[in-house]
Amino acid sequence: MRIEEHPVLEFERGKEIYFYYNGKKMKAYEGETIAAALHANGITKFSESTKFHRPRGFFCGIGKCSSCLMKVDGVPNVRTCITLVKEGMVVEDNDGELPDGEVQEAKTVEMEVDIAIVGGGAAGLSAAIEASPYASVVVIDENPRPGGQLIKQTHKFFGSKEERAGTRGIEIARLLREEASKKCNILLNTSVIGYYDRGHHFLVAVNRMENVVYEIKARKIIFATGAQENMLVFEGNDLPGIYGAGGVQTLMNVYGVKPGKKGLIVGAGNVGLILAYQLKQAGVDVVAIIEAMPKIGGYMVHAAKVRRCGVPIYTKHSIKRAYGSERVEGATIVELDENWNYVEGSEQDVECDFICLAVGLTPSVRLVAQTGAEITYINEAGGWIALHNEYMETTKEGIYVAGDLANIEEASVAMLEGKIAGLHAAHSIAPVENFDEKMRAYMENLKIFREGVFGARPKMAKEKIRERYHEKMGKGRSG
Amino acid sequence: MKERAEVVVIGGGINGSAIAYELAKRGKEVVVVERKWLAYGATGRCGAGIRQQWSTKENALLAKKSVEIFEKLEEELGHEIGLRQGGYLIAIHDEEDMKQAKKNVEMQRSIGLPVRIIGEDEIKEIAPILDPKGMEAIAATFCPTDGHANPFKTTYAYAMAAQKMGAEFYKFTEVQDIKVEDGKVKKVITDKGEIETKWVVNAAGAWSSKISKMVGLEIPNKPVRKEAMVTEPVKRTFDCMVISFKHGIYFSQQDEGQILGGIPSPEEKVGYYTQPTFSFLRHMAYTLGKYAPPLKHVRILRQWTGFYDVTPDALPILGETDIEGFIQCNGFSGHGFMIAPMTAKLLAQLICGEKLDMDIERLNMSRFEGEIVEEKSVVG
Repeated sequence: MRIEEHPVLEFERGKEIYFYYNGKKMKAYEGETIAAALHANGITKFSESTKFHRPRGFFCGIGKCSSCLMKVDGVPNVRTCITLVKEGMVVEDNDGELPDGEVQEAKTVEMEVDIAIVGGGAAGLSAAIEASPYASVVVIDENPRPGGQLIKQTHKFFGSKEERAGTRGIEIARLLREEASKKCNILLNTSVIGYYDRGHHFLVAVNRMENVVYEIKARKIIFATGAQENMLVFEGNDLPGIYGAGGVQTLMNVYGVKPGKKGLIVGAGNVGLILAYQLKQAGVDVVAIIEAMPKIGGYMVHAAKVRRCGVPIYTKHSIKRAYGSERVEGATIVELDENWNYVEGSEQDVECDFICLAVGLTPSVRLVAQTGAEITYINEAGGWIALHNEYMETTKEGIYVAGDLANIEEASVAMLEGKIAGLHAAHSIAPVENFDEKMRAYMENLKIFREGVFGARPKMAKEKIRERYHEKMGKGRSG
Repeated sequence: MKERAEVVVIGGGINGSAIAYELAKRGKEVVVVERKWLAYGATGRCGAGIRQQWSTKENALLAKKSVEIFEKLEEELGHEIGLRQGGYLIAIHDEEDMKQAKKNVEMQRSIGLPVRIIGEDEIKEIAPILDPKGMEAIAATFCPTDGHANPFKTTYAYAMAAQKMGAEFYKFTEVQDIKVEDGKVKKVITDKGEIETKWVVNAAGAWSSKISKMVGLEIPNKPVRKEAMVTEPVKRTFDCMVISFKHGIYFSQQDEGQILGGIPSPEEKVGYYTQPTFSFLRHMAYTLGKYAPPLKHVRILRQWTGFYDVTPDALPILGETDIEGFIQCNGFSGHGFMIAPMTAKLLAQLICGEKLDMDIERLNMSRFEGEIVEEKSVVG
């Protein structure tokens, strides 16, 4: 299942190591996650549902969905998609049995910083780079490597030169990572487990691998926790082999592992289109892209590229069910009429061994919600969203949001929003020279980026967010 | 929204929903007004334990009769409630505890509860995960018919059964005022409209004193912020609820394997504070690890806050008031869920002019004019 040749990517695989899966010895490479290593060995069933014991595989690949929980070295409920495989590691079915032996008391590290940034993706790293010349900054990310979703984007970016147009996402991730790690402290494999208001902003974070608890007092916090992929309701949607599009990108572009032999993609937005192309690059067959809307949602350049690869795109089509015993063996797709109802007799069986859902994202709003910042449902923004102003500050003073958390948009926007939040947060601690000029430039770029046709929805979302922010703040700041 | 109803119940928690059911069953036209959604308040945030081991006879009897109802409730309501009778294990820490425990057990047994005092060995037998030394326990009391139910399922089961018999539930509807004429309840004014009525049941939990004020009655209830947490699911290893009055801890394992529990927070406050605290989390984790050492390996998934509606004697306020038609059903001080089935039945009997199954005169709000007898068996 490993990709041996790739036109764009070169996989820097680490040392060859061995681990055990349910007693069986398996090969892996240092630096890859347990989930990737299992996939490479053809294992896709990771867990079972609690009540009906249905087989489950991983879905999101970034630690958000919890369907990849396994028992690792005796510890139950380990998220295998963000835990690195190690020499001699024992990976088993999750029976929930607790390990024997004493627990080593965690080491507590108290920190005091000007700005804490939660999430080391496009927005978080950009914020860190922007703010760190003026303030002490810590970035916290629960993944083993920073870069967020950029680390799996093999395509070249659009937009302005300042936002690195013409550069591939993976390359942008590398540049951001290098710059940020020179300038500030990045805590990896570390999950922020809670925000507490103690009269000041207070975060608690845990590095489970090192057994360290961080208690962080921060003057400002920028939340850049991103988003999670949407699930779609259809029969059999929990079978192993049904992935979020991003989950497949992680597997394929970060770890060089194929998700299967033949895939079906649901959703013809940019994510679905790019994914089809990336699958083809990796030597994986794509039977079709289906799209419920009457037209393709993504850029025409991407659609044309996909078509040239021989992948058909069926608009006005949806998935009715997925079937298979232990993993996906096929799917039934169906045509939709103007009222989104199934067209009778239009069912078609599609042979595939995996299905990718590219049907949008939902902001990961739970952590920022703990701060007491006002959260509102705005459909155009992808769901529940923290209200914020043009400087990305929420209704709670000193709490900022940026990137997908602040509205589902492009990575270029995430980077700009990160810069804006980072600059404003730093400036509000101690005045930054040329603040107005810098800020104006970022905002201008942001405006230009949203001018295009595809900027219409996010623009509308942002307008609503700001309108409601000001409505709310008219009554005074919360918290 | 109806313009008039025989009874308006304020609060869509377990008590409001159960009363609506008991009234609808008796043919009363009843509506429930809820500011948020069903089980939004204490009901949906509680440990949902069902305990009959109380120090006062009123509570013990209410709880015992409630358990009798709980045992047949799924059948009666036609909906699952997730009842599990794994017992309550209450730690006895020293000789003084033992004295009180013996007194309690004697009273509890006199009303027919199968409670007994057990030693360290039996503690380990009932829940091998427990460490009596870490618990600082010399013994425990155990009542096998205690247990817990799912608070959401139970509330919905009551509400759905009530609706089937004609009760109406108005969610996201806030009571703004209650009109009283000639010392009688006249009308409930909400942000969605007005309802004329002769009976109002104040089952508003931590907001009950605000509702009471609308008819000019002062009750001594105070909202106290309480915290709880739940862990990731692990293999089911024990069935009972474990509690200690000394440490204030309570915890049990849910059907799917999560450990759910609480302990008084070092930062406990009176007032409508909703923010959880980290000191609670540390304190809970530390104490839980002492009680059940293997749980040191378990990760906590969530913590949250809710309010106890606390009275000076930790006993509920039930029954009639100086305002004709205004019925109190609040002040449960952290144990409203477990006695709701019987409470609801009694108040429905009161409103319908039936003979009450049990005397509740001692739980009337008028008791605060005299000397009070405090309920001591309170946790969380």
